[in-house]
Amino acid sequence: MSGPVASTPSSLRKSVALVWRTLRSMRTAIVLLLMLAAGAVVGSLIPQIPNSPQRVAAYQVDHPLWAKLWQAAGFFDVFGSWWFALITTLLFVSLVACLIPRSRAMIRAARAKPIHARELDAFPAFAERRVALEPEAAAAKAATMLRRKHYRVELDAASGSVAAEKGALREIGSLAFHWAFLLLLIAVIVGKGTGYVGHATIVEGYGWTDAQFNYDGDVRTGRFFGGDFSGTQIQLQNFQDDFRTSGIPMDFSSQMSLTAPDGTTEQADVRINHPVVFNGIRIYQFGFGWAPIVQVRRGDQTLFDGPVVLGQTTPPGGNPLAQPWTGFVKLTTLRPQIAIAVRLYPDAVAYFQSLATGVPQPMTEANAPFMEYEVWQGKLLDNSLTTLDTRFMHQTSQGLIGKGWTVDATRGCVISGTSGAIPASLGNVTCPTNGGPATLTMGFPDLRQYTTLQISHDATVPWVLAAAILIVLGLLPALYISRRKVWVRARPDGTGSSLQVGGFALQRKDRFDEEFASLVEAVTTAAGGATTRESQPESRPESQEVSP
Amino acid sequence: MTTEQWARLSSDAFNLALFAYIAAMIASFAYLAFRRERLHTVATAIGVIGLVANGVSIVTRGIAAGRTPWGNMYEYSTMITFLVVLGYLWFIEARAKVRTVGGFVYAMAVLWMAMAVSFFYVGPTALMPALNSYWRQIHVTAMITASSLLGIGCLLTIVYLIKAASERRELERLRTGTTPPPIMGGAGVETSDQDAPPDYAGGADEPVGSATTSRKIGLPPSATLDALAYKFIRFGFPVWTFGVICGAIWAQQTWGRYWGWDPKETWSFITWVIFAGYLHARATAGWKGTRAAIVALVGFVSLLITYYAVNLWIAGLHSYAK
Repeated sequence: MSGPVASTPSSLRKSVALVWRTLRSMRTAIVLLLMLAAGAVVGSLIPQIPNSPQRVAAYQVDHPLWAKLWQAAGFFDVFGSWWFALITTLLFVSLVACLIPRSRAMIRAARAKPIHARELDAFPAFAERRVALEPEAAAAKAATMLRRKHYRVELDAASGSVAAEKGALREIGSLAFHWAFLLLLIAVIVGKGTGYVGHATIVEGYGWTDAQFNYDGDVRTGRFFGGDFSGTQIQLQNFQDDFRTSGIPMDFSSQMSLTAPDGTTEQADVRINHPVVFNGIRIYQFGFGWAPIVQVRRGDQTLFDGPVVLGQTTPPGGNPLAQPWTGFVKLTTLRPQIAIAVRLYPDAVAYFQSLATGVPQPMTEANAPFMEYEVWQGKLLDNSLTTLDTRFMHQTSQGLIGKGWTVDATRGCVISGTSGAIPASLGNVTCPTNGGPATLTMGFPDLRQYTTLQISHDATVPWVLAAAILIVLGLLPALYISRRKVWVRARPDGTGSSLQVGGFALQRKDRFDEEFASLVEAVTTAAGGATTRESQPESRPESQEVSP
Repeated sequence: MTTEQWARLSSDAFNLALFAYIAAMIASFAYLAFRRERLHTVATAIGVIGLVANGVSIVTRGIAAGRTPWGNMYEYSTMITFLVVLGYLWFIEARAKVRTVGGFVYAMAVLWMAMAVSFFYVGPTALMPALNSYWRQIHVTAMITASSLLGIGCLLTIVYLIKAASERRELERLRTGTTPPPIMGGAGVETSDQDAPPDYAGGADEPVGSATTSRKIGLPPSATLDALAYKFIRFGFPVWTFGVICGAIWAQQTWGRYWGWDPKETWSFITWVIFAGYLHARATAGWKGTRAAIVALVGFVSLLITYYAVNLWIAGLHSYAK
């Protein structure tokens, strides 16, 4: 082979080594971390599809050019974008590349013994004392004393030399912190990646099964999610809401029975801040509302019989509890198609009181509930249960229906039912007896509540918590423990010995001076106490810190 | 006393604290400029009055609302101001004997309180149920404490940068023999052999007596400021970490996910990352001093965004401010 070709492997090796070295350096890790932060800044300033799709859509209308640019750069879903994943991955590699050698060095250091030093007076902290004991005994006593003070000690009795060090926990803590941070990132990615979260609306007395198409709208699934929903069945028995008289909500709770596919059942009470974990899913109280049971008949034929889930549109600043609830019954099989729009007032007494006084009253409890309804005929444009597009429809009638009433929906008059709470002037007109049989009747036998639950599956939550705890536990020694090294050397001096003590601290140097002074005293006492011809302790701190 | 009376007392105490801090700020800056010992005594006395009033305001508001008084931005801001001034008086003035940075601390306290009352004031009311969890207490307490500590640390960093610049100018003056205009008003003649670099020996051109007077008054040496700032940030960082984790636990309990990149969460993470960068920078050769200080200042800006901008301009789940 010729020269240039032969040099390729080595230059490749060189560049690989260079990349590895670059990744290993702390500066790379910091830059990557700051890039992660910069990405997060973008994510917080530009609306994000997973958090607020409506705002993204509005932004696309308002700023079409920028929107195109952001779209291309993945700025509408920063935390799901390829470049965010790339930064995270590089940070992983950098962290691992940084941590493996450091961990190995730490293990090596933990096994190695403290090394003896020669020139003790060259250390920043140094003191010399004359003591009563002979060198060998003095060194042994000093070693025992240092051990008692939790130093790792290496004694060479023959030469009267002691080497001691303390504070390895700093590096252990630092490594624990960094490994835990890595574990946290991995656990978060795995957990979110294999999990899902969605919302389920269940009416009192009805059931729900955990499957893709039973969720309200879209379920957010992780990118590694295989599609295996838990299949848990939820039967809602009762929904309870408590309000103060002022209308401030106190508590919401859903009482339900849960059944796993394997047949295990459990009775559960899901409340705000008190989720329930069952069969691998977490169930949270998310929302609530009213769901009247509505029956629509034409002659003997039942067209609709079931709950109608109602929603609210609250004007800004308005009290939602004082607002009526709206919803639709859409009869798509009829020709022409029919839609019945309903507006529910759960508490007639409170509603008419607020009409009379002009002060909105919260309608928290069902009290003589009634609905206003409008019947529309024509062609339905969608199946939405929250909106009605009336472009190809016309209104045929309207009226009132109280709970327990039956009305003629075609003519907008009451067939049966009365309520003392509703003024007769408000249109609860009784149908004339000679009008012939009703073509379309509507009943309102019951008013129930529904609960909206947030259902999520995230398998790594315990791991994330463990990593988070380890992060805090590692951080404290990493920031507060200082590494200190101390040497003692005893030399024969008359009947006793001359004791030299030297040392330094790698961190928190200001505190070390004090500690060193007391250490010198303790060593001197241990070695038989100071004798005459004592030299003053001499300390040369290179202090960079001051104590507050 | 009735709820309304407690609420009014809280409000009055708040106003007293605000004006006391303004007065203490003026006295502290006057002390820095004119170096009269009496000014410092006055500043400290007024500062303590402000602190007591601040504390009274917090406690009475708690009584008026019937809960721990950190449920909204107004209350957080009042609490942070209290902790910042307390931290200053206790650690910096009483223990570290650094007395010349008070004006900056009071300025921050005034700013914080003014923001609280002008943007975030709400009456003492009960909380919505989602905010009602004991994790709230832990999370909010940790975040307030951490913000106060990091706030003091960053304030000291700003003073450090001013002092370091002034030291550089002083050094330049000694090298070239020319006198640049003084920085920070009357602090122009502060020179001392202790602050000066090792290769400097006091010369004959030095004003007589400056070494003794300036060591007592004037800003402390930059190394002292830097070390103090580091101590506060080093203390604040783990508390911030703990607070964010508690917030995640609370979010897991309340919203069903421990992390959702909600703007407040995102910014608390950004702030965390920047301060982590600061701690690393201090341990990296070539990043100590000014560069690390700038990282800390970026962190402080991020902290302010986390605290204020997110609530004022970015919508999210933490929208309890308004």
